[in-house]
Amino acid sequence: MLEAINLKKAYGNMEALKGLDLTVNSGDVYCLLGANGAGKTTTINLFLNFIEPTGGTAKVCGIDVTEQPLETKKLLAYIPEQVMLYGNLTAMENLRYFAQLGGHDYAPDEYRGFLNRVGLQPDAIDQRIKTYSKGMRQKVGVAIALAKRAKVLLLDEPTSGLDPKASNEFSQLLLQLKADGAAILMATHDLFRAKETGTRIGIMNEGRLVQELSTDEVSHADVERIYLEHMHAGDQYSQKVA
Amino acid sequence: MIGTIARKEFSEIVRDGRFKWTAGIMVLLLLTATLAGYQKYSGYMRIQQLAQGESNTQWLKQGDKNPHSAAHYGNYAFKPAGPLAFFDTGISNYAGTAIFLEAHKQNFAIGRPATDQSSVGRFGDLSGAMLLQLLMPLLIIFLGFTAFAGERESGTLRQVMSMGVTNRQLLWGKALGVGTVVLIVVVPCVLVGTFVLSMADLNIVGEGMGTRVAALSVGYLIYGGIFLFLTLAVSAWAKTARTALMVLIGFWAFAGFLAPKAASEISKAVHPSPAFGSWFSDMRSHQIRGLDGESPWITVEKYKVELFRKYNINSIAELPVYWPATRMQKLEELDHPVFDLHFGKIKSSYTEQRRIQDRLGFVAPTLPLRSISMGLAGTDLIQHIKFLEDGEAYRRYMVSEMNGYLSKAAASMNATYSSSNYMRADEKVFSIVAPFEFDPPSLSATLREHRGNFVMLIVWLAAAMGAALFAVKRMSVEKG
Repeated sequence: MLEAINLKKAYGNMEALKGLDLTVNSGDVYCLLGANGAGKTTTINLFLNFIEPTGGTAKVCGIDVTEQPLETKKLLAYIPEQVMLYGNLTAMENLRYFAQLGGHDYAPDEYRGFLNRVGLQPDAIDQRIKTYSKGMRQKVGVAIALAKRAKVLLLDEPTSGLDPKASNEFSQLLLQLKADGAAILMATHDLFRAKETGTRIGIMNEGRLVQELSTDEVSHADVERIYLEHMHAGDQYSQKVA
Repeated sequence: MIGTIARKEFSEIVRDGRFKWTAGIMVLLLLTATLAGYQKYSGYMRIQQLAQGESNTQWLKQGDKNPHSAAHYGNYAFKPAGPLAFFDTGISNYAGTAIFLEAHKQNFAIGRPATDQSSVGRFGDLSGAMLLQLLMPLLIIFLGFTAFAGERESGTLRQVMSMGVTNRQLLWGKALGVGTVVLIVVVPCVLVGTFVLSMADLNIVGEGMGTRVAALSVGYLIYGGIFLFLTLAVSAWAKTARTALMVLIGFWAFAGFLAPKAASEISKAVHPSPAFGSWFSDMRSHQIRGLDGESPWITVEKYKVELFRKYNINSIAELPVYWPATRMQKLEELDHPVFDLHFGKIKSSYTEQRRIQDRLGFVAPTLPLRSISMGLAGTDLIQHIKFLEDGEAYRRYMVSEMNGYLSKAAASMNATYSSSNYMRADEKVFSIVAPFEFDPPSLSATLREHRGNFVMLIVWLAAAMGAALFAVKRMSVEKG
């Protein structure tokens, strides 16, 4: 569903991504872990074709994103750390707008259905987004993904800054989407969520995927230990270079 | 898709506080300008008609006198204004509104409204045209500068671009959305203006009023389109909405204030108008010495000899035409080429200056639009020059009618001519001179004259669209 083959991105001399190979299948929740600047957001931006790769290919459902960016964008949904919506429009209007941009249109009741399904309070649906909390915005973001009937989800730290309850609700939604057969790639700092909701974990450091784990084979403690080992190794490497 | 984007853009703008204030002020100003302009126009036309009627009566009731003296007494030509003058006052504040018409002299137009205004008047009239030329672009800029830059800053652009929308669709959708908002503000005011216009007496100077309004609408629509696409281009290109606003306001000030002033200065430098002193003395010397160096008095003597030969006579007393009148008319006609040459120099310097200003239209779209606007409203230089020409043609007609009458009616008085023995004429004679009527340039001539300006506007629109397409094509969704 989601495939990176020797994917590279360099900004001048700075290599943000040094040959990434990655596959996320339908029903997978692949969690990308790594420090800031490890290349997680770059990976997501490459899949979105927001930036041009300097090497390798990124594919969505077998389609190269640089060759047919509009086709691949129709297949995927993107939820950033902060789902940005139009403050002067209601949740309903925002959802309808984005659904229509994605090439879908539904009856008003169906839009309400999507917003109900992500757990938005019914009385909030017709209120303007500027009154919304971050958690509510993230829910609208998921509703947009639902309305888009996306086969692939790209999530960039979607739960950071959410309170534990909101974060838990968000994870529940992800599990539903996963059960529906979506392929989900999520960049996150939340090791606990990664172990809970993820099926696989990839640890990135300085533009490289340094280790992949299956979440059912490791414990919470293992995830944290392995993660920190890689981070320390990275530090030592950096110091040596310096 | 484009419709979806346009609708969202529309409701977002309309719900923004920015819109309520700018649109409110714009509507208020446009309506004020329309109504005040109409009041001013109808006041002017009332005075013009009163004055022309008064002056025509004075001509007829000047009292019994020699017809040539009556030509000296003269008449005035008062410039009528087309109904669209209420919309665009053009140069009418700075050009004269009346010409004194008398024997032997071609006079300058007098009565410039600007001379009666305080220094505040220098800022220009609050006219519909001025608002559409200056404030409409500002409205477009205010409503559109955030179109891309604002969405990029707030992060919604990432969200939008992840949906699988093409940059072009986004551009056309936004153009349609912002454009609709602007039209909703402007069109009702234009309709009110058109309604006001329909109450005017179109028989005065109102040829093809419908076509004029349509052509003006097309011109201003293109002009708005130019600013719309430039705004979207800059918004897509600029890194932040702030930068976009600054660049756009800069261009607005340049196009609206700097460029017209600079174009006028440049045109004056390239084609200077003659200095009055030397111009006047050159003309006087041509009048006194003759254009070809032969004194008019000698020419007149030769003319007399020619007449003697023609009628085969030896003395003035035998002439079948009244000699003082015939001679006066001959002298008058000798002045015509001199006037044509020297007034022509002034006229052609103004015309050339105007042409240069039109050619400078590539610098700012305001230049060709302004020219089209006052041209169609009938308040531009071409219209004024036509008024001066009509006035001068009428003066020549009036003088030649009087001299002509005298030379026939007093033919028997050649022998008895003296300063106390001359023919007197009355109102019946003066009435052979038909009242002055201004024949403004035809609509088709005006449209032909402004073809280049329309082309210039269309080129601007194409360039603005091209710039917008180019800007969105290489638009980044990332901040900073």
